[in-house]
Amino acid sequence: MEKERNITSMIAAGLLALAAVVGAPERALAADGAALLAANCLSCHSAQGGSISRVEGQRKTPEGWQMTITRMQEQHGAKVSAEDKRRLIKYLADTRGLAPAETAGWRYLLEHDNNRVETIDGRYRDMCARCHSGARFALQRRSEDEWKLLMHTHIGLNPTLEFHSLARDRQWFPLAVNEVAPALARDFALDARAWKAWQAAPRTALDGSWRIAGFLPGKGAFEGRMRASAAGEDRYELAIEGRYADGALLSGRGVATVYTGYEWRGSVDIDGVALRQVMAADARGERMHGRQHFADSRRMGGALSALREGAAPMVMAVMPAQLRRGETAELTVVGSGLAGAVSLGKGVRVLEVVSRSPDRVVVRARAEGRDGLNDVAVGSARGKGLLAVYGRVARVEVEPANAIARVGGPGDAQMQKVGVAYRAIGWAAGRDGKAGTADDLRLGYLPARWSIEAADEEAEKAHDADFVGHIGADGVFVPGDAGPNPARPKSLGNTGRVNVVATVEAAGATVEGRGKLDVAVPDFVQRALD
Amino acid sequence: MSLIPDLRALRAAGAIAAAALATACATPAQKSATSDAEYLLTVTRPGLLHVIDMKTDRIARSCELPGKFGSGALVPTRDGRHAFVLGNLWEDVYGFELETCKLVFSARQSEGDVTVKTVQSLAVSADGSELYTVQNPVRRGADRFEVLPPRLAVYRIADGLDAKPVRSFPVKRRITKIAATAGGEVILGGADVEAIDVRSGAVRTVSALASWDRGPRWLTPDAFAMHSQGEHLNEYVMPYVTAKFADDRQDMASAEWWWGMSRVDLATGKAEAREIFPFEFVIFSLVADPRDRNILYGAFNTLSRHDIEKRETLKVVELDHTYYSLQLSRDASRVYVGGAGSTISIHDSGTLEKIGTIQLPGDMSTADVRVAWRRP
Repeated sequence: MEKERNITSMIAAGLLALAAVVGAPERALAADGAALLAANCLSCHSAQGGSISRVEGQRKTPEGWQMTITRMQEQHGAKVSAEDKRRLIKYLADTRGLAPAETAGWRYLLEHDNNRVETIDGRYRDMCARCHSGARFALQRRSEDEWKLLMHTHIGLNPTLEFHSLARDRQWFPLAVNEVAPALARDFALDARAWKAWQAAPRTALDGSWRIAGFLPGKGAFEGRMRASAAGEDRYELAIEGRYADGALLSGRGVATVYTGYEWRGSVDIDGVALRQVMAADARGERMHGRQHFADSRRMGGALSALREGAAPMVMAVMPAQLRRGETAELTVVGSGLAGAVSLGKGVRVLEVVSRSPDRVVVRARAEGRDGLNDVAVGSARGKGLLAVYGRVARVEVEPANAIARVGGPGDAQMQKVGVAYRAIGWAAGRDGKAGTADDLRLGYLPARWSIEAADEEAEKAHDADFVGHIGADGVFVPGDAGPNPARPKSLGNTGRVNVVATVEAAGATVEGRGKLDVAVPDFVQRALD
Repeated sequence: MSLIPDLRALRAAGAIAAAALATACATPAQKSATSDAEYLLTVTRPGLLHVIDMKTDRIARSCELPGKFGSGALVPTRDGRHAFVLGNLWEDVYGFELETCKLVFSARQSEGDVTVKTVQSLAVSADGSELYTVQNPVRRGADRFEVLPPRLAVYRIADGLDAKPVRSFPVKRRITKIAATAGGEVILGGADVEAIDVRSGAVRTVSALASWDRGPRWLTPDAFAMHSQGEHLNEYVMPYVTAKFADDRQDMASAEWWWGMSRVDLATGKAEAREIFPFEFVIFSLVADPRDRNILYGAFNTLSRHDIEKRETLKVVELDHTYYSLQLSRDASRVYVGGAGSTISIHDSGTLEKIGTIQLPGDMSTADVRVAWRRP
């Protein structure tokens, strides 16, 4: 928590500092990154022919560099001002970052969307992902020498590492240096075509007007508009207006920095709630996608997408995104410059346009026809596969399917509770009429009732479901208090294994979905990337 | 996952506890113990070596350890007069005269830019003249760590305070508990159990464990122990876990899980290694009954008694919380279960029923629990 706070407050401080710097003399903005690196790092690192030892052999994400500098401060006594740190992270991520293709498949870690089971190559699973997420090392690029030195760092910082269960069954250190490091150097190589190409590619400024859509735990789905004004040095001032699915309005302001030409990191205040945005922009700067989470609890968040508004009209989303056959319902088509006739695809009749503006068109519609994902069009603007038409919810998936919550508190003096935000996804059976097969049709998020139950016989016997916490009507699971609980055998804490059950009612039928939730002890080490 | 962040957090907690304990520590050393004194020794945060009179089950005196906590591994001399403790973040060794709490020995293993950690590896020669540690050095350069090869360090106890190693020899990585034999060897508990000659540095295999050759029907054993016992029978025990398979395919569904141990007689240096009873629950430490060396006691979440000749578990009782280590009274009538908290739980060795508690002023954490008495 302490570290987490340091890191988040550091970001906050950096962003506040940014506000002050905007409009400051040019020289402050034009501080030379290389000079900054030399000024802050050469008391320990050596300069060899213009390059700085250790730093040259590595490429990382902004958060990766943030962790490195934080470690230098906390473990090695480096004195770096908040402003220099902010600038160093920017400079290092810009000049020694990862290309978009190199982060693909691992972005969940940057987004702190960690409730998932990773599939990691066996060679790295036991040696690295036993303690870290697999994404933690997959989001780094190093020379072979640097991967080897990283193994030395591991023993230097964690001398008991070799003694752990699942490390002591092998000669960990020789194996790490002689076999794993060279493999990492091949699989996550410092010199990569993707990075060279990305460095050479033209950069697109991301200022302008963006249509955004997403989901916020406890509030629901929302859509809106984010205006980004360039503030120099890849920084933007943001103004956001929008509305939740229930019609409530939202509004906020914030700032964002773009690292490595595409890594969007926003810090916004929406109606008094501090949020962080982590998105990746596409190469043309027309779309961004990622996640938005609460600043004070990064596990709690939801998807965030942004489409840049231009001269051409566009359709972005339909809310809700599904319509049952035989049902008449109100749907909102969200987009930009919307004008002209509304089409919800084959078999869906638009009965009435309830209201319309260039941003959103509300219609009453009725579905006939077959199960499928329908294109949605307003005039010349078209969105592909935005509306799911279905007859029956065949199964419900709980998202996340596997999650870890962490007990915390009581009170602020203890580690913060780490909860989980759940959503239910509906699926139709598809053409074969069988649920759970490859042709199942994803219907999108559905409203659900939420409950928890013991995950297995052991958990049942220990009454885990009575102690681990509770899940609200909004699908937000809040874990119990940390510390020994005298009401449990051996004063066991409020940890345990439960299933999270989503019950979806659709057309008189009840369909349940289950997710596995481990409620664990607090994680006393908070890192920028887990 | 690693111990280091925990240590950091606990160090801060320890510092606060230290202030609270300052008055308690001021107890003057007492000279009351007689030659038949029987002591239970353990260490608590923030840094106290407790000398507990096993006749009254009360703390006779508490010796103040310099430096920070970690790990509390400790070894008494065979004459029961002195004990050596691993302290200061697993780096320094401090030796005390148990009757007076006088600090008679110290060794700071880290020097200059080389940090040296010892993972429980602490032993005293049979004649009480030499102290042995396994050192795991790491050089901390300006911009990099360099892991250096581990070594057995030999100290002359008579060198007293601020002693330096008089000899050192290379050893393998990942060694935990060690013990000295009467024949001038140190038993090294690593992936295999080995013995090193403390004069020549020659190493022999005592029990091949990770490198055993028993074919595909036996799972390579996980041999590991943090805590030392064996004072009663002058022996060294390294427990391990293995599994026997029905056939060569190593199908986990067919696995029959076993506890085993390498048991070294410290008088002769001879060892036997074999399976001892079925693996049904986790045991962190084992101690043998001096009245019948086939009877072993084990502790972790449970306290258990086992007959290793019959390869069976005789009795199991639940403990009120997790404990790491255990010991027996000199007559083996009582079991003392300690470590991992601030209470030592006393049990009847026959019924395993709880018969008492020793409340300590701090957390034993990873500390050893040892026994010491004057031997003839």
